[in-house]
Amino acid sequence: MTASPLSPADWSEARSWGVAPAAHLLRRLQTGYRPEELRRVMDEGPEQTVDRLLTEHPEDPSIGPAIASLEQTALATGQIDSLRAAWLLGMTTPVNPLREKLTLMWHNHFATSYGKVKSLELMRRQIDLFRRHAWGNFGALLHEVSRDPAMLVWLDGNSNRKRHPNENYARELMELFSLGVGNYTERDIQEAARAFSGWHMRHGDYWFNSLQHDDSEKTVFGKTGRFDGDEVVDLCLEQDACSRFVASRLLQTFVHPRPPEEWTTAVAEDLRQETFELRPVLRRLFLSSAFFSSEARNSLIKSPVEFVLGSTTLLGVAIRWPETLRLLASLGQNVYEPPSVKGWEGQRNWVTSTTLMLRTQFIADLVQTNQYGVASPSKLLESADLSGVLAIILGSDSPQLLASVREQMSGLAKPDQKQRLTLLMQLPEYHLY
Amino acid sequence: MSRISRRQLLTGLGAAGCISFSGQIPGLWRRAMLDAAESGKSAERILVLVQLAGGNDGLNTLVPFTNDVYYRERPAVAIARDRVLKLNDRCGLHPAMGEFRRLYDEGRLAIVEGVGYPQPDRSHFRSMDIWQSAHPSATDFRDGWIGRSLDREFQRDAGSSESLALGTDRTPLSLLSQTRAVPAIEDFQQYRITGAALASGSTRRPLEKLAAESSGTSELDFIRRGLIGALETADRLGQLGDRNSSLEAFPATGMGRKLQTVAGLIAADFPARVYFVSLDGFDTHAQQLAGHQALLAELSDAVGAFAKELDAHRRSDQVVLLTFSEFGRRVAENGSLGTDHGAASVLFALTPPGHGGFHGTPPSFDKLDDGDLIHTVDFRSVYATVLDRWLGIPSREILAGEFAPVPFLPG
Repeated sequence: MTASPLSPADWSEARSWGVAPAAHLLRRLQTGYRPEELRRVMDEGPEQTVDRLLTEHPEDPSIGPAIASLEQTALATGQIDSLRAAWLLGMTTPVNPLREKLTLMWHNHFATSYGKVKSLELMRRQIDLFRRHAWGNFGALLHEVSRDPAMLVWLDGNSNRKRHPNENYARELMELFSLGVGNYTERDIQEAARAFSGWHMRHGDYWFNSLQHDDSEKTVFGKTGRFDGDEVVDLCLEQDACSRFVASRLLQTFVHPRPPEEWTTAVAEDLRQETFELRPVLRRLFLSSAFFSSEARNSLIKSPVEFVLGSTTLLGVAIRWPETLRLLASLGQNVYEPPSVKGWEGQRNWVTSTTLMLRTQFIADLVQTNQYGVASPSKLLESADLSGVLAIILGSDSPQLLASVREQMSGLAKPDQKQRLTLLMQLPEYHLY
Repeated sequence: MSRISRRQLLTGLGAAGCISFSGQIPGLWRRAMLDAAESGKSAERILVLVQLAGGNDGLNTLVPFTNDVYYRERPAVAIARDRVLKLNDRCGLHPAMGEFRRLYDEGRLAIVEGVGYPQPDRSHFRSMDIWQSAHPSATDFRDGWIGRSLDREFQRDAGSSESLALGTDRTPLSLLSQTRAVPAIEDFQQYRITGAALASGSTRRPLEKLAAESSGTSELDFIRRGLIGALETADRLGQLGDRNSSLEAFPATGMGRKLQTVAGLIAADFPARVYFVSLDGFDTHAQQLAGHQALLAELSDAVGAFAKELDAHRRSDQVVLLTFSEFGRRVAENGSLGTDHGAASVLFALTPPGHGGFHGTPPSFDKLDDGDLIHTVDFRSVYATVLDRWLGIPSREILAGEFAPVPFLPG
């Protein structure tokens, strides 16, 4: 019998714990990191790092007020960009980076757009919901999302009335939130839609409008009863397809864009055993042999948020938000406004010649000008030891890559620090993690 | 005055795949057109795909104004009989589509009725994936019908001009290739690398070397090829110049600007064979009359201006424009003055003069599938027509099957 993909990675033998696996862990679990953080992860080792990142820590007193003030500004002025800046600032703060990364994952999973919701307050509350459940219980999250006011606006809850059921939420619940195409019938959707009828929003809150709720019998997935929305959510959670669907989401976000079947099966099984408690499942996944396997390393393409904020964090840039937000939108990831209810498809879809051009230009502007804010790079990045710098920036200890970079450096007329950083961060490898 | 030749353009594009435009190119055609004339090469045939995203309501676009079922099922959202732009004694265009009417009268608007596919899917995403991949039974959509077609051409002759230009902010599935990165331009103005951007030529040379060697399918190979393709495209667009010069007035709408850009590139002999643009907002579940009218007006006016611009450049014989949408709407209106996701619908093609008219078979109103029109023409027949008769690419290989052509293009 072969070992489970979720069996813990073995650090005792051939490949010992070191800079490359530490960088891999850090790059996958955080949106960005300062060079010093890599040293810390190497010292702590994988278990301690994962436990630390999966623990909620008190907010950083030096950043907390800045985030709060951006949120206040947003609500006072109606400027969604301030709300964006508040969230992105939180993502780059080293206190709860994994929680914020998971929050972004749920925002992508339950993709709801300010473009239709048109309420900063409702959008902020929905993101808070994702934050509360970041590594909580997926079932609890799915129940709460189903009555989340922003979601009710986004998928036309108020139009779902007894005589005129609106299928929008029921369809996306099955197609995009819990099961995936092919795991339900059109009939299931029509019946489930009736179960959610009367789940309305009033004065910014969920409101059960009993007059518009159809409490007659429905048949969903072959089961019949006078189901309400919560019971339909439970029926979805019971489907085998649900644990597989969530497993795919976790694997595609953190491990591999096209995970092998047996990885999905293993994570799905783990989710069922833990009754959808995410924290223990994530912990096992982040320490697993699959997570650290050679197939997984550098298999993901950085999202715009990861590419841009990863770069600003690496260089210690005090971000200028208007320019940075504009860039992120051009690169295709305008948080709070996913392109559709399907979210960002990510991976190769991030890559077009426009976005590659913009990313290349951004690196030059970031390193060489103050367009995106003033940088204060760590001394570690100025070290004469090129292999150490390469490990920090690219998470690589590959001798071939080092040789190739040395060759390219030798082509620079008078390589200064800025040119060196520009070159390293413009490498094709830098787009991966 | 330095001019770039068509040959240089083609050479430059070499390994590039698709290019996406949605911004406006400040008239780069004029100079390049001179070059095209100089080079004396015969013009390539071009396809422009226009995606109507959201599921266009075919019944309110091509209105069956003598059909009682239509008026009975749509008491609030039907287009009144006396407002329809009648094309024959059975149906006519939505009143906002005056330009389509003109094109029809000129014999260059082909109308294909009843287009769909078996076991229609009513999910936007899946149905759009089906249309764009032309693989109705697939579960994982990796490439598009155009992407596969141009891959095939590229393998046959890597030096040929088998590149495309598109018009959305990201590469649509239709154009995705499994083997080549597909450059996509969202806004022409962004498509530049300023002086200090690259650390030096020394970054670029190794990159070119690596890109030439990277034939693999890893993410790294994909990024390498994409980067080098992007740099080449930027070079070439930089050379094309920067003067605005449409001959015809284009409407100041999103679609107007996109088609103006496409027309400029075609006139400039930009070496793309397929362009892709998208018009979003057709998911008209509620209060559909005003919104749908605005969308159809935007489409019709932009296509009208595009046709005039092609005429002015004598390129009308070179270009086919094809609309498509993931599905039509249900026959019956819903309770919110809108229509819900349906099945078969109508599509339009702007053809070279003389090939317009009605094609396909009108879907039956007597026999519906759960309230939806049943298709009479498989959309892959439309694709087969375009591939075999227009682009000269054997459709059988691309579509994995034989589909009877719809004669809206010369055989």
